[in-house]
Amino acid sequence: MNDSTTTHPEAPPYLKAWDDYVSACQALCERLSNPAAPAAGGAVPLAFLGSWKDFAASLGMRPDAAPGDSSNPEDKFASLFPALGYSREYQEIGRRMLDLTGQFQRRYAEFLQHSADIGQSAFQATQRRASKDDTLLASPAAIYDAWIDCAEEAYAQAAHGEPFARLLADLCNILSEFKIERGKLLEALARQIDWPSRAEVDSLHRQVQTLRSAAVKAKGVAKMRTAAKAGRAAKAGRAAKAGTAAKSKGVAKPTAAAKPTPGAKRRGKQKIRKTSERADR
Amino acid sequence: MTTTESFARLMSDAAAMQERGQSALRALREIGEVQVGLSEKTCVYAEDKIQLHRYVPLARSARVPPLLICYAMVNRPYMLDLQPDRSLIRELLSLGVDVYLLDWGYPDGADRFIPLTEYVCGYLGRCVEFILEQNAIDALNLLGVCQGGTMSLCYAALEPQHIANLITMVAPVDFKTPENLLSKWAQHIDVERLTRSGNVSGEFLNLVYLALMPFRLTQQKYVNLLQMEGDRAQLENFLRMEKWIFDSPDQPARAFREFIEWFFQENRLIRGELTLDNRQVLLKNIQCPVLNIYAANDHLVPPSASIPLGAHVGGEDYESLQVDVGHIGMYVSGKARKTVPAAIARWLQERKP
Repeated sequence: MNDSTTTHPEAPPYLKAWDDYVSACQALCERLSNPAAPAAGGAVPLAFLGSWKDFAASLGMRPDAAPGDSSNPEDKFASLFPALGYSREYQEIGRRMLDLTGQFQRRYAEFLQHSADIGQSAFQATQRRASKDDTLLASPAAIYDAWIDCAEEAYAQAAHGEPFARLLADLCNILSEFKIERGKLLEALARQIDWPSRAEVDSLHRQVQTLRSAAVKAKGVAKMRTAAKAGRAAKAGRAAKAGTAAKSKGVAKPTAAAKPTPGAKRRGKQKIRKTSERADR
Repeated sequence: MTTTESFARLMSDAAAMQERGQSALRALREIGEVQVGLSEKTCVYAEDKIQLHRYVPLARSARVPPLLICYAMVNRPYMLDLQPDRSLIRELLSLGVDVYLLDWGYPDGADRFIPLTEYVCGYLGRCVEFILEQNAIDALNLLGVCQGGTMSLCYAALEPQHIANLITMVAPVDFKTPENLLSKWAQHIDVERLTRSGNVSGEFLNLVYLALMPFRLTQQKYVNLLQMEGDRAQLENFLRMEKWIFDSPDQPARAFREFIEWFFQENRLIRGELTLDNRQVLLKNIQCPVLNIYAANDHLVPPSASIPLGAHVGGEDYESLQVDVGHIGMYVSGKARKTVPAAIARWLQERKP
């Protein structure tokens, strides 16, 4: 099962699609026209397969590197056993990255095997469809569409299974770990050339986040205070209005019992202060 | 048909397709950059990366409280206003709805440590408060879309007094149903490890989305593109969609980790075990009317993930609307355009204070 297209990996997707279309139609036509020889013709290309490998490469992994390939700088670390000396930590990181590359390659090979099975199931389903519908073979485009439908069905069936989910998660977890190790190397490099390191920037971001949260809280408290103040002012305004209205209507003055005691006003003020203190808290 | 005949037919079809494809590619080169999100709007509130937009009305007011749209963080919200003739927002405006949109922006390293609580109770909460103050009202209408729908449910459960009516659209509620492929994949992913080295790249998210239907999304659609010949309008539609699909913002590490762990892996929302801002998020606290819109053929948020909402909200006034489209079709398909905006406007109209 090939996992890359014949076009350049950087080629626009529609060129890859075109390439795949022609190859797929050719393979399907050949294989469907010769049911006695199902292995005839090339495998139907599965264009999406390369994307995990491309993503791994974008993180700095060499997913295609053969173990022991002398062009890999990481291999130098592998040849030094045990890692010792001034650069011991970096050697360990390099070794770990190499190990993760190996893990990725093994899991990726399983992924390809899964995909090969999906391709095979899809082909068989397309074959069943073609045997029921004679017109399919007369049109490569129709065969291609039928194959896409069958491939999606076969893929969905596999993708919903536990082994596939574990495989995808493993690929993802290995790449996450690789990114972490790569970060450690970059961190060391940044320190050596006196550039701000990731850890330094993270530390600043944490501080900003803490300050931000504090500022938002303070803003909330200030808002509550303003609202409380506005509420008190409105209440006082209503009370004053009510008092004026009562006077103009000639309502009897409050009796001595109803009159506030001299200290009451102060107590009222104290009460208000307490409310705002509560808001502070 | 023999192999030779099939092959000859393939070659002649391929030649014809190549010709059409060349004309399509020529037209594509001429189109250049496509425009999206063209409906007129003003940024009325901004904070960090987020922006709150208010759209310019297109019709006489329907006199319902303003509608705040809370979109997902994992994609860009211009999908709701992709182009003038494929725009949910434009349709709502033309029905007299006063529309606000919360745009989460493009998070970067500075947002790495922001918790999910801050996105729901902080940013979303402050946008709600801003709108309430601007309009001098006590409650607004909230429309949460996809992941934004889940976030809206959390907010509505925590601050029910601020929400007059809640609409969820293709929003997951039960994250562990058998049809939910994303959830199945998420179960074994070590999200702490994924986010330890920083934000999760949009490129990684795209990889996962494309893996949901890889044959259609990475092969067939480009073959179809080559068959469009030089139809400029069709090609522009294709390019707008293509732009949106790959315009996935990086996800802030901490909030993303919390979302995957709490919702996808632990299904806390529907189990009543989610805590945000030191408060328990209980769907039964949502007493306002709820309209739950879901897509029958959704491969991202299957109907089974949305439908259970009805059994968990606290209010009596609950309605669901199934639209016979896929996840993306909910925003742009002709079928959804004919039914969804009108259904929303009517539903709000029937519940205006």
